[in-house]
This record gives sequence, C-alpha cells and structure tokens, in this order.
Amino acid sequence: MKYICTICGYIYDEAKEGRTFKGLPDSWVCPVCGAAKNAFKADENSKPLSGAEASGAAAEAGSDLEADKKNTDNAFSETMAHAGNGAEEEFDEDMKKLSAGELAALCSNLARGCEKQYMAREAALFKEIADYFSTTAPAVPETDIEHLAALFKKDLESGYPELFNEADSALDRGTKRICVWGEKVTNIQSTLLARWEREGDAFLKNAEVWVCSVCGFIYVGNTPPEICPVCKVPSWKFDKIERRYPA
Amino acid sequence: MKKAAFRNLRLCTKDCLCLYVCPTGATDTEDSIIDVSKCIGCGDCAAACPSGAISMLSTELPPQQKKAENVISYARKLTKNKADEEQIASAISGMVINDGMYRLMTALAKSARLVNEDIMRESGYMLPQSKNTKELLEDLLNDPPAAGFPVDAAKELLRLIKFNE
Ligand code: SF4
Ligand code: SF4
Ligand SMILES: [Fe+2]
Repeated sequence: MKYICTICGYIYDEAKEGRTFKGLPDSWVCPVCGAAKNAFKADENSKPLSGAEASGAAAEAGSDLEADKKNTDNAFSETMAHAGNGAEEEFDEDMKKLSAGELAALCSNLARGCEKQYMAREAALFKEIADYFSTTAPAVPETDIEHLAALFKKDLESGYPELFNEADSALDRGTKRICVWGEKVTNIQSTLLARWEREGDAFLKNAEVWVCSVCGFIYVGNTPPEICPVCKVPSWKFDKIERRYPA
Repeated sequence: MKKAAFRNLRLCTKDCLCLYVCPTGATDTEDSIIDVSKCIGCGDCAAACPSGAISMLSTELPPQQKKAENVISYARKLTKNKADEEQIASAISGMVINDGMYRLMTALAKSARLVNEDIMRESGYMLPQSKNTKELLEDLLNDPPAAGFPVDAAKELLRLIKFNE
C-alpha cells in the first residue's frame, strides 16, 4: 500500500519501507515537507502489502478508503446544500469592515503588487501604511497557543472549504488557487504548533526555520527545500528566521 | 498598447547585448534599472537578451478581474482570522525567552501575513491601479483611522498611481 502526502506529493511505499504506515508513531512527519501523518491519503491504485504482517494494514487501509469516500460524499452534499442557499447567506456589516490587521495585509499586498511592477516609490508608501496598521492594530484578547491552534482549526474545517465551494460555483480559479495553497500552508502551521505542544523545542534546537516568501510555507531543517512543496518556487525564495540570540 | 522594458536583476548575466541594441540608451544606467523615461518600447533589448532577463510590460494594465460578492464575503471571514493569527503569533514571539519558540512564532506570523496578502490579492485588491485601491485610499484620507495615520503617504499614492478603472 502507498500513502501520498497531500501537501507535497511524497509517496510512502510500505513495500519499500518494510513498515506499515499505520505502524509509524504519531510524531512521524513527512520527510520532505514536514506534514503530519494525517495529511497523508491512501493511494487507491496501489496494491496492499502482501504477507501476514501487512494484512492488518491492508484491512485498515480499506476502511480508510471507505472513510475517504464518505468524506467526499459529505463534502459533495454540503456543496449542493450550500449552492442552494449561498446567495441568501447574510453577512453583517461588521464582517465587511476591515480590521487594522486586515488593512495591514491588504496594503502590504499592494506594496508587493507595486514591487512586481517596478514601482519602488509606491511600494515604499504602501509599506508605510501597512506598517502603520500593524503597529496600531488593537491586541487580540486571547494571546495564547490554544487560541491560535483553534483559529487554524477553524480555517481548515470551515474557512477554506467554504471559500473553495463559493469560488468553484463562481468559476473563480484564482480564488481556488489561494485556497489550495493557503489550506496546505495552514495545515503545516497547525502541525508545527501541535509538534511544539508535544515535543517542546527539541525539533527546533539544531535546525533552522524557513518561510517561503511567496506562499508562506514553513520548513524546519538545515537548508530550505530545492523547490517549495506548495507553490514550487526555487529555494532562494525562502527566508531564514534569524535566531533571537545570535551565538 | 504602449510597452516599456524592465530588467530582472536576478536573471541578468551582464552579457550587455541590450546595451548594444537599445536605440535610446535606456538600458545603460548606473543602477542597472532600465530608464523608463528614455525607453520607447521597441522591444529590441528583450529580443536580444540571451538570459531572458528583460520583460516588456504594458504601461497601461487592463482592469482587474471582477470578483463575485459572495466569494469576497467568504474571503473576509478568512482574512479576519488570518489577521488575528498573525497578531497572536507576533505577540507571543515578542514575549517568549525560548529561541525555538521565538523563531516558530516569528515564522507563523510571517506566514499568516503572506497567506493573508494572497487572499487580499484575490478578493478585489490585485492591482494597485484598481478602483478598489483608489476608493480605499480616498476613504482613508477622508476619514483617517487615527491622528497618526500617514496622510502624506496616501496623498502621494493617489497622485502617483495611474488608476485604470
Ligand atoms: S542583454 Fe540581458 S543579460 Fe545582458 S546585460 Fe542586458 S539584460 Fe543583462
Ligand atoms: S525596449 Fe527598446 S528603447 Fe526600451 S530599453 Fe529596450 S531597446 Fe531600449
Ligand atoms: Fe512556496
């Protein structure tokens, strides 16, 4: 049986590894992109591992497939239900008003847009406005890891699926792109936070932390990946997060 | 549509063919950035460059793609969350002593911002030249969020940008 990483496409082949996927510890992560075990999907076309030891794995994998199918069905019926009432969904005015944090991102996005068009002065001005909003944004009341983890979870469970469905019915492939990228990045963010809560700083001590400057994918390791597993840009597009206390 | 040449400094290998072919000398500058005021948009430099380092960019861009109202509404739900995620991560990174935690939180804040910028880009703010951008800048000027708002920056942007809608 083969398992495919939904973030980067890495294939875990049980036959080659000599170890069932299910048998891997929960702390195991994708060797290429660092995704957690639950980001892997069973490859429906691959043959189950033969032999007595593997039969359990195959049976489990089978039930996985069933579960997957169910999920797909659910997602589908939700889409249909949604398509029916999407137009009537009410968004209150507060929702539409941009917060300072949102305005910061909006303006730094426009700064990037200017930079791409070689408009250096305009880029600097948008950056100035973005920084103004960053520094004046009122503090979020719950500044803790649990709250952060809950927000990631919400994005993954409802934020991205809802936006993707809406973009799909509007034939808006640009928005579908940011859903595909953003969902993967959020998945990694959430995995890293869970890893921190489980292992503390052990996995960060002798490793660098890199951020893809295009899509936000975070990678922990000595050198950045050759190409970003999410948006496919080359390694020089990764920025290293500097240590707080340089040695 | 009128075009102008732009050189990607990262790709430029200094083969200098663009210097030979340019009829106006626009490609020959002390900072390697092509002089737009001299460029007549003939495209000869781009055709000659062996490194594919020059692109011809329209000086007037078409209006950005229209976005469905509902797509924007759902995008706003995400941008609200992403902004909060960035803020929480950056607040924690400012408080912690542990270097691993500090770097993880700094990375999460940076990452959340990048993801948020991308959603903004796809929900009505792709082009700095758009009507949406113009209206946003005007709104901020008419009703500044607070006394410290950089009014001059907004004014200069409204003056500099060639809005296209
Ligand atoms: S021809 Fe291309 S590679 Fe050579 S100097 Fe000009 S831009 Fe650079
Ligand atoms: S497009 Fe023509 S005028 Fe402009 S820089 Fe290139 S060669 Fe010179
Ligand atoms: Fe990336």
